[in-house]
Amino acid sequence: MSTSLLEKPEAPSAPPAITLLEDRALVRRAKSGDLAAYDELVRRYQERIYATLYHMTANHEDANDLAQEAFIKAYHSLRSFKGDSTFFTWLYRIAVNRTINFLKQRKHKTHLSLNDLDFNAEHDPDLVALISDKTPRRDAGLTELQEKLNAAMLQLSDTHRLVVALHDVQGLSHEEISRIMDCNVGTVRSRLFYARQQLQSLLSEYLKSP
Amino acid sequence: MSQPPDNFDALQRLLTLKRYEAPPPGYFNRFAGRVIARLEAEGGMRSPTCWQRWWEALNSPPALALSYGAVIVGLLMFGTGLLQSLELEADPALAASDSWLGPDPLSVADAATPGAEVSMSPVIDPAGPASSFSPVLGNSAPPILFNPNGLRVERVHYRPR
Repeated sequence: MSTSLLEKPEAPSAPPAITLLEDRALVRRAKSGDLAAYDELVRRYQERIYATLYHMTANHEDANDLAQEAFIKAYHSLRSFKGDSTFFTWLYRIAVNRTINFLKQRKHKTHLSLNDLDFNAEHDPDLVALISDKTPRRDAGLTELQEKLNAAMLQLSDTHRLVVALHDVQGLSHEEISRIMDCNVGTVRSRLFYARQQLQSLLSEYLKSP
Repeated sequence: MSQPPDNFDALQRLLTLKRYEAPPPGYFNRFAGRVIARLEAEGGMRSPTCWQRWWEALNSPPALALSYGAVIVGLLMFGTGLLQSLELEADPALAASDSWLGPDPLSVADAATPGAEVSMSPVIDPAGPASSFSPVLGNSAPPILFNPNGLRVERVHYRPR
């Protein structure tokens, strides 16, 4: 990964240790019916959960519904949460499983409902380079690139898309992804490699040679 | 394609574009409120089903699990005691030697009224000869499921016309 990636909008990673301790206290309070504590947990993870589901569905409305359902289901299932994993991982599992089920039902009825790009994207040197004169498709603007990228993502299988979304977009580690997907790290790595190969092939005309 | 197949730098740069995709402004300010409103509308936390309670009890902290275990052991001991007392009732010899069981109500009634009804006696005489109707040879009472002392039999008085 290039160093310039680190200057981009920060990819959310797993919460730090201090947050995990606070999570436990909030979960304990939420288990006893304290909605204010659960409200804090929702605020803490809403962006990450929404973003993952959005990258999985490429549809803002679907991601919104699924994210809300995931938080509601998680609240009703709090009693079964024993703390074997972090709340963050447990919540991700609920959201991801629900979304994969949804996508199976939605097969062949896909339509994109993409969020707008942040205006900062135009100033990102890497992205500017991708649409510069040296790019094979130099007529492509960022919006077109965004559509092509999302369309290509949707051609991946759900599990391959999830790995790309969690690792390359969300910035989670292989270990975190293996816990969320309940598989070993080797499987995560091989899925990521295969998914990248697929994407590279699908988007070859937009990818500039180094 | 001029790139080697495992060089994904350009692809990863392109994928960063997705980090710039943002929902409408203020979306996350309202999101948590909507979730909590839906939870409040549903009446907060649902009460668990019997199965969920049972499962939680099994997965509960050690102190509670131990207390459940103690109750189960207590019930088992009570059941065993009850079983033994029934076995003793089935065996009059043992019952007579066992004072804690108390006197047999049937034998007390027999002693109080020497001329008691014959219908109180059992059908099968354990001391009688073995036959296809009464295959028991020994004096000891049959096992618990068959308690001759507890049987009340009405005799049929057949009168030929």
